[in-house]
Amino acid sequence: MKLHDQAQNLGIRVGTIQVIAFVLLAILGVRLYFLQIVKGEYYSDKAENQRVRLIPIPAPRGAIFDRNGKLLVDSRPTYNVTLSNEQIKKIDISDRIEDYAGGLKVDRQYLVERLNLIRKQPGFELMVLKENATIQDITWVEAHAEEYPELRIELRPQRFYPLGKTLAHTLGYVGEISAKQLEKPETIEKGFRPGDIIGKGGLEQYYDEFLRGKPGFRKVIVDSRGRVQSELEIVQPQAGQDLVSTIDLDLQLAAEEQLANSSTKRGTIVATDPNNGEILVMASAPSFDPNAFVMRSTTPEGRKEISEYQTNEERPLLNRAIQGRYHPGSTWKIPESIGALQQGAITAANSNVACGGGITIGNKFTRCMGSHGSPPLSYAITKSCDGYYYRLALKMKIEGLIEMIEEFEFDKRSGVDLPNEKISQTPKSWMPSVVKREGKWSDIRTVYASIGQDTVVVTPISLLRAVSIVGVQGKMFVPHLLKEFKSIGAVGKEGDLSYVPAKSSFGFNRPDPKIVEMTPEQNKIVLDGMWGVVNGGGTGAGIKINGFDIAGKTGTAQNSSLNSGGAQDHSWFVSFAPAYKPEIAVLALIENSGFGGRHAAPAVKAVYNAYLLKNHSDLLDGQQIAKK
Amino acid sequence: MVAVFEKRNLRDFDWLTAILAVSIVFFGVWQIYNAQPTENYWSKQINGFFIALVALAVISMIDYRRVIDAAPVFYIFGLVLLALVLVPGLGVKVNGQTAWLKIPIIGQFQPSEFVKIPTILMLAKYFGARKASSLRLKEILIGGLILAAPVGLIMLEPDAGQAMTYFPILAVILFLSAVKVRYIVLTIAAGLILMPLAYHVGVQTGKIKNYQQERINVILDPENADPKGYGYHTVQSMITVGKGGVSGIKGDTETSQAKLKFLPEPHTDFIFAVTAENTGFIGCISLLLAYALLLSRLVAGARQAPDRAGMLVIMAIAGGMTFQIFMNVGMVLGFLPVIGVPLPLMSAGLSAVLSTFIAIGFVISVKMRRFVN
Repeated sequence: MKLHDQAQNLGIRVGTIQVIAFVLLAILGVRLYFLQIVKGEYYSDKAENQRVRLIPIPAPRGAIFDRNGKLLVDSRPTYNVTLSNEQIKKIDISDRIEDYAGGLKVDRQYLVERLNLIRKQPGFELMVLKENATIQDITWVEAHAEEYPELRIELRPQRFYPLGKTLAHTLGYVGEISAKQLEKPETIEKGFRPGDIIGKGGLEQYYDEFLRGKPGFRKVIVDSRGRVQSELEIVQPQAGQDLVSTIDLDLQLAAEEQLANSSTKRGTIVATDPNNGEILVMASAPSFDPNAFVMRSTTPEGRKEISEYQTNEERPLLNRAIQGRYHPGSTWKIPESIGALQQGAITAANSNVACGGGITIGNKFTRCMGSHGSPPLSYAITKSCDGYYYRLALKMKIEGLIEMIEEFEFDKRSGVDLPNEKISQTPKSWMPSVVKREGKWSDIRTVYASIGQDTVVVTPISLLRAVSIVGVQGKMFVPHLLKEFKSIGAVGKEGDLSYVPAKSSFGFNRPDPKIVEMTPEQNKIVLDGMWGVVNGGGTGAGIKINGFDIAGKTGTAQNSSLNSGGAQDHSWFVSFAPAYKPEIAVLALIENSGFGGRHAAPAVKAVYNAYLLKNHSDLLDGQQIAKK
Repeated sequence: MVAVFEKRNLRDFDWLTAILAVSIVFFGVWQIYNAQPTENYWSKQINGFFIALVALAVISMIDYRRVIDAAPVFYIFGLVLLALVLVPGLGVKVNGQTAWLKIPIIGQFQPSEFVKIPTILMLAKYFGARKASSLRLKEILIGGLILAAPVGLIMLEPDAGQAMTYFPILAVILFLSAVKVRYIVLTIAAGLILMPLAYHVGVQTGKIKNYQQERINVILDPENADPKGYGYHTVQSMITVGKGGVSGIKGDTETSQAKLKFLPEPHTDFIFAVTAENTGFIGCISLLLAYALLLSRLVAGARQAPDRAGMLVIMAIAGGMTFQIFMNVGMVLGFLPVIGVPLPLMSAGLSAVLSTFIAIGFVISVKMRRFVN
């Protein structure tokens, strides 16, 4: 056909169509250039990000042992039911809560909370829905694999506390890192991710960094449904280091037995080695089962148990040894005596102060339990003469008491290797507010403070630390629980990017003890007084052990806060033995049980007996073994 | 007679057009293999190619003028096929569309792909016979009716994508039948006003479904579209194309988007994305150039066509093909909405390859007879 013969510019019209076709193809070419050349790398990264996944391999957490190698905490493999975040990004699973709750026997409310959490925190890759999955749970998940591809079964090491409530406060427990913790900059810096397990309370928290180890990972390729297609790389985890603690489990059990059998079943017993600060016993009652937080936190019963721990008025989660604060009562007289000697209020040669059966301040008479004449210091300690200390404190003045408080570091934490230790409260901390309220610091407050009442509340650990210096020439050590972290081998080949070097063994980084200066003479009269408490017809005479002289001090602390209902006094006994070459120092506090010599002292004796049974069984011949 | 016939065939046969089409099909087979290496789509495509090649050879030997004379018969037959699809029991439903017809012995095929050819022939017959003067409104309306019958039946399937590929056929034929320039301007202006209006009304009345809206929204803003929902296809397609870069992953499909199932329909509607991932910018541009060359050959053939009807057949085929390439690749490149239109000669599927080869057969038939006047 001869197009040019035709009318209507047919040739131009055909050409127009051809041009339009080429323009359309050119548009495609330009768009291709933009996607592949300009943004090629961007899309390449996007493609890689959606197909490459790092699946963490949790590191086995280090075990915890007592000083003799007895197992206190371990991990064991358990099956968990997990929820894959990748899967549920594409669907709304709110309507599956009922199915999950029924199929897995998990608390419905808990599931709602978990789903809200995973929506808020996109960092979750896998969220644990149920720990300790049973055969039934696993079967249920497998049977519903088509229906609920977001559910998986994972084998993970789980913390296990074989001793249950024993030593619970000291050990702590582990749990999923909280959203609040994840927001802290230092947590982000350490690379924590949602779902990570960390220590909460006790040694688990304090030494989390070393116990935790370094997780490994599998670098895998997944398809669009998140199913693993192949493995690119595997980096093995480095297990956490095993912790050997200073705890002596046998003594611990003996102490806990005493608390359990006490009249109120509330209190604390702490034992240390006064020669180095190692903590042999740290018992606090009532206690809790850490397994509840680890194994049962997803079940309705477990959640009830945890909530009961948190709301119980007896506060079972409180570690009374380091978080409880009590009036020390007469046990306070030991550091006070040393302070008075140091400051020259009395001297070793002339330590007599009048008792007077009490003292009159203004028009109020505060009495002593007896009438002791004008006794020397050691006698005042042995008989716990209040009148002596009323006058001694007035002589030292409140400034002298505060100087003593500073000398014995009652204004600081003891430095024990546990989290959340409380600081004692003393006239030093109270003075500003008292003076502000009352215009001045009155003498009666000084008198009350002299016998560990009113403005004096101390943590048991700080009191034991202060008193136990008497047997070791004034050396005040930092109490601690870490004996040794065991070494752990390297992971991977040296030079590799993923190489994790070995970690060597290390012990507690023990600072030099603070020296409380005393002359041998000064030291001796305080020591003699404490010896007399048990061995010289003093307030603790009932717990005397032949051949193993205990030096101690009783305390009976009134507590006005609970006094309204006629609550009993707190019963104290703080001691060490043998008196003149101590190997062990023991403190007991039984809440609201009454007189120190009658309740706390026998509890302390039981710990000594357990100690003797292990270390000096010859001394028990005849009396103790026969009893058993 | 027969001897003369064959001698001319060999001399005038448009080898270049045929070879271009065959090359694109084989390039496509390679990409189908890359898309689904573990499936047999690629070998099926080769089988389909041989059937299509025979069809091309046969059609090119037949005098197209005879066929155009018989266009109404083919046209009616085509409409019957489209109607049969809608008969329950005969039509096969795939992905919510009843676009397939299952016939014993012949097997399963998609009539909407083939009916394009009788529709083109019918339009060419009608508009090719008229005198060279400006189109009258009545003629435009008749053209519209010829198109409306198959398009209406296809919309009932419903297959909006296939239906859309029919419109450029009419547009090209009307344009080349001397429709007045003012009508064209008027149509474009009306389209610009009515399209957004129709969309708005469609959304308000619920005629345009949610998923269709989302498919459009994702084009406007792919980065913020819901990557799980209907935007998923577009987002993944763009990632796949972009990932190819300059030279592609060269057949290393272990971690390809198709293998890991991120890319949907990789061997059919999204075959161009697979091409982009495997052969990169170089491969894609080569393919687009091959299409451009093929289209040029068609247009050149149209210019040499012995009569108006032959010219219209070729240009309608070229126009339809261009439109389909643009719709499909535009969708893959993420600037046109996801509509199920196969990429001519590339996408896996016997119906599509066969119908395209039949169309090219016609083109060759027309060209071969360019000196006979």
